[in-house]
Amino acid sequence: MMRLITLALIFGAFSQARAADIAIALTDDVVEVNASFSGAKVVLFGAMTGAQPAGADGGAQYDIVAVVRGPNSAFSIRPMIHEGAIWTAGSPVYLRGVPGAFLVHATRSLDEIAPRALRAAYRLEQTPEALDRRFAPSNAQAAHILQTRGAAAFARAFLASARQSGLYAEMKHSVSFKKGSLFSIEIDLPPKTPVGDYLVDVYLIARGEVISHDNARLSVNKVGLERNIYELAHKRPIAYGVVCVFLAMAAGWAAAEAFRKRG
Amino acid sequence: MQIYLPIADMPVDPAALLLTGAAVGFLSGMFGVGGGFLMTPLLIFFGIPPAIAVGTETVHIVASSASGALPHVRRRAVDYQMGAFLIGGGWAGAVAGVLVFRYFRQAGQIDVFVSLAYVILLALIGALMLAESVRAIMREPKKGAPRRRRRRTAWMAALPYPMRFRRSQLFISPLPPMALGFFGGLLSATLGVGSGFVLVPAMIYVLQMPANTVIGTSLFQMIFVTGLSTALHAGANQTVDIVLAAILVAGGVLGAQAGVRIGARLKAEHLRVLLALIVLAVCARLTLGLVLPPDQLYEVFPL
Repeated sequence: MMRLITLALIFGAFSQARAADIAIALTDDVVEVNASFSGAKVVLFGAMTGAQPAGADGGAQYDIVAVVRGPNSAFSIRPMIHEGAIWTAGSPVYLRGVPGAFLVHATRSLDEIAPRALRAAYRLEQTPEALDRRFAPSNAQAAHILQTRGAAAFARAFLASARQSGLYAEMKHSVSFKKGSLFSIEIDLPPKTPVGDYLVDVYLIARGEVISHDNARLSVNKVGLERNIYELAHKRPIAYGVVCVFLAMAAGWAAAEAFRKRG
Repeated sequence: MQIYLPIADMPVDPAALLLTGAAVGFLSGMFGVGGGFLMTPLLIFFGIPPAIAVGTETVHIVASSASGALPHVRRRAVDYQMGAFLIGGGWAGAVAGVLVFRYFRQAGQIDVFVSLAYVILLALIGALMLAESVRAIMREPKKGAPRRRRRRTAWMAALPYPMRFRRSQLFISPLPPMALGFFGGLLSATLGVGSGFVLVPAMIYVLQMPANTVIGTSLFQMIFVTGLSTALHAGANQTVDIVLAAILVAGGVLGAQAGVRIGARLKAEHLRVLLALIVLAVCARLTLGLVLPPDQLYEVFPL
């Protein structure tokens, strides 16, 4: 039902559209991510007019790129250093003002769709170069390591880590078309995705140029028992600690009673 | 199946953790050692961050010392007066320990601190245990070796404010129990151990307490000292994972019961060699983790 209304709204807004144009809507404005296993899924519906999807018969190649940007976040990156005989984590270098999540869905791979300049202008991808100036060493030792190893090494390490945890992802061929000009994209938010306001930008691109653009907002909350425990432990730490101690004492006492030798 | 740990922020296999908890509980039931000094490094091997392994293990120790202490309380084998002085010193030690822990955590060196401290601790325990059990096996045929006579050492008698400990039939200054308690509390808060492996021998050989009150008193004070460590770790460092603790407690309780029953029928000396070897193996594995180059040259955390 929800989806039907969404589609109806898209069509309604679209009846006046001219030339090649694009419009999108999300199934939900607010998403609740279960912190435990699955993350959350939100579906993006869209329609385009005056254009054919890439690979369709005849006409120009039109591509769709959807960029889901999480709230700006900061990260701490610690280089491992060899000190004496052991390996230890050195002072951190901070990375600030980067999206906490960055999920790209596209009809094809980005370098087939758009030239580097366009990808950079519309910030369609996260490259090590784009992160270079966002590093802030925490102290002199960190500054020295940042200089000797190079910001690019830190940037690559950050991107590799973000991709591994699913916070950053690029998925080509992830736009499914139904009935010609209608399409949908399934956005999977990973369990570690940050809470906050997300922006979803969808671009219609042809011949290396953006023809049309639409966006939508998304708010991400975290729910679940695990989240409640986390909140309690961080907002009321003393109370949480006392609860832990009493539960442990009660469990120990119960165990001793349960296994008490009879007779 | 996987369970998500809310504080450690990672999924784990509860069956594997339960089994590990049971195995450590089994050893502790069999040998009467707490098991914290084995459980914390094993948690680190599971990929649990060392700071959270320590904080969480204190909860496990509160539960296991509470269940261990209860039979001694019923048998009146606890010297509460001695316990009170141990707890007094232990609480001061726990506060100091959590402050040290917090300092290293904020400096970002807590992982290395915990690993290094464990390498030293386990090497000492393992070597002592191995030496003692080998000696015990060699001595086996001769029964009835001359027993140590209880004798107050000169320096103990020289300490101020001596008082009577009725249950333990001692007349000593409360300063040594407090100092001992402090050291135990310090170890408990920084390493997530119960410190029984230090306290029990010290209570026998230094304080010269009678054997029938040592274990009960040690376990009794451990509930409160480790309990404070837990509350302080939760309050100051947010490193106590109650879901992880629940798994460990469940496994540990079952394992300990089995350990107590089976341990009573087996020859302790031979098994002690095995325990010593396990301790040394864990120590070696920790050392490798410190010395070998890490898989990732960078650690990334959200701020």
